[in-house]
Amino acid sequence: MIKIPAKVLIVDDEKDFVEMFSLRLNEQGEKVSTAHSGKDALKVLKKVAIDVVILDIRMPGMDGIDTLKQIKTLYPIVEVILLTGHGSTETAVEGMKLGAFDYLMKPADFKDIKIKIENARKRKDEQEERIRQAELRLLLRRSGDY
Amino acid sequence: MNRLDDDKIRLLLVDDEDGFRKIITKRLAKRGINPFQAASGEECLNILEKEPMDVVVLDVKMPGISGIDTLKVIKQEYEKIQVILLTGNVAVTDGIEGIKSGAFDYLTKPVEIDHLVNKIRQAFEIICLEEEKQKELEYRAKLEKKMIDTERLISLGTMSTGIAHEINNPLAIINESAGFMKYILSSSEMSNIPRKDALMMGIEKIEKSVKRASLITHQLLGHVKKQKSLLSNVDILSLLHETFGLMEKDIKDKQININWEIDNEKNIVWSDPYQIRQVLMNLLSNAVHALKENGSITLSTREIDDDIILEIKDNGVGIPRENLGKIFDPFFTTKSFDEGTGLGLFVVHKILSGLNGGIDVTSTVGKGSCFQIRLPKYDKSNG
Repeated sequence: MIKIPAKVLIVDDEKDFVEMFSLRLNEQGEKVSTAHSGKDALKVLKKVAIDVVILDIRMPGMDGIDTLKQIKTLYPIVEVILLTGHGSTETAVEGMKLGAFDYLMKPADFKDIKIKIENARKRKDEQEERIRQAELRLLLRRSGDY
Repeated sequence: MNRLDDDKIRLLLVDDEDGFRKIITKRLAKRGINPFQAASGEECLNILEKEPMDVVVLDVKMPGISGIDTLKVIKQEYEKIQVILLTGNVAVTDGIEGIKSGAFDYLTKPVEIDHLVNKIRQAFEIICLEEEKQKELEYRAKLEKKMIDTERLISLGTMSTGIAHEINNPLAIINESAGFMKYILSSSEMSNIPRKDALMMGIEKIEKSVKRASLITHQLLGHVKKQKSLLSNVDILSLLHETFGLMEKDIKDKQININWEIDNEKNIVWSDPYQIRQVLMNLLSNAVHALKENGSITLSTREIDDDIILEIKDNGVGIPRENLGKIFDPFFTTKSFDEGTGLGLFVVHKILSGLNGGIDVTSTVGKGSCFQIRLPKYDKSNG
């Protein structure tokens, strides 16, 4: 099966982490964008079509949860995976209640990351597909009115 | 003072006049006090070396060592003993000098027996009071030390959590970098580079060490005080059964006997089941580790005021006295690094403090250890 590349946005204030992580994801065939703050992330989302955002919870300024809320308001279909250096998974669970797809604990196992990205991308694709179908039905019904 | 205590008074009567001693002894005996006797200061000091005494009734005027000198020696060697001096009618100055040297009081001869008995009782009362005071001081010192220990551990907990947080980020970078290099090395363009195996081995060592370090940070962070711990009625008995279920293999391998002495009425606490399970897991696996084959673990519960006490007792190797003060410290361990991080009991202590509970331990080398967990029965935060 040919792997469909996911368009991933990595958001973390730890620049070295973002760099290494994106290199690795890139090597594995994903299309990676990066941002070092919540604000930057929203800017990237405005310009680039993204499937999955990998979002650090603890960031100075606008934190992960705030960023998550913004993303889910502006781009509800984009999937978000939270990254936590926290042992306390409470915030991550909180985030999932706000619409995050899943969470990962730092340092995360790369296999886990890959699986979660893949599943998140699939869910987004399926959702988009359902929307297309619904739009199609809407279109058909309208044309049936005439 | 209760008259019934009279027979507890250990009294030594010192006088060189045999007749006087005998009469006084007889009269004291009638009132329930049976004194030892000495005929001189030397004899008095000899007896004190062998027999513990509370009160000494001491004649001042004696041949050999004088009463005052005897008194000085007694006060120097046995500070708890109270001395009542007997002085001649005209020798009031002796009595005063005696009191200056530490005597409890003095009586002039001829002595009225009831008067003497009262003085003896008063002196004994002072001794009892002082003993109580001493006990209270010791108790208070112990309590204070425990409070300091607890505070120290709590601040250590806060600090270690902070450090663990900060270390996780660089760990993630190391992990990503190593993973990236490994991926590049495994790609087809790299298939023929020299010494590839050595590079691979190095990278794998890095990855393994990252795993080890993150095990520690996660253990430290796993019990960060939750903003909203989910508290509920927790049945300790069923949590114990669950925990043993997870350890079934170890218990069977070592053929460990579990003695259940749990009171069915006294095993419900208001707490966080996840954290309690963690506590039980740590303590029970320690107990199992401490046991040889056929050892046993005894579990019991009891109630003290609004708390439930769970006792986990093993008859394993025990903890040396010099280690008892350190076992709750982070990273204190007697095991090698791959057997334990030295965080288990630290985490247990941290969890229990967070839940308004506590933990105590007693242990004897070769006989085993006993851990006592205290947890509140009711929600204390709401009064």
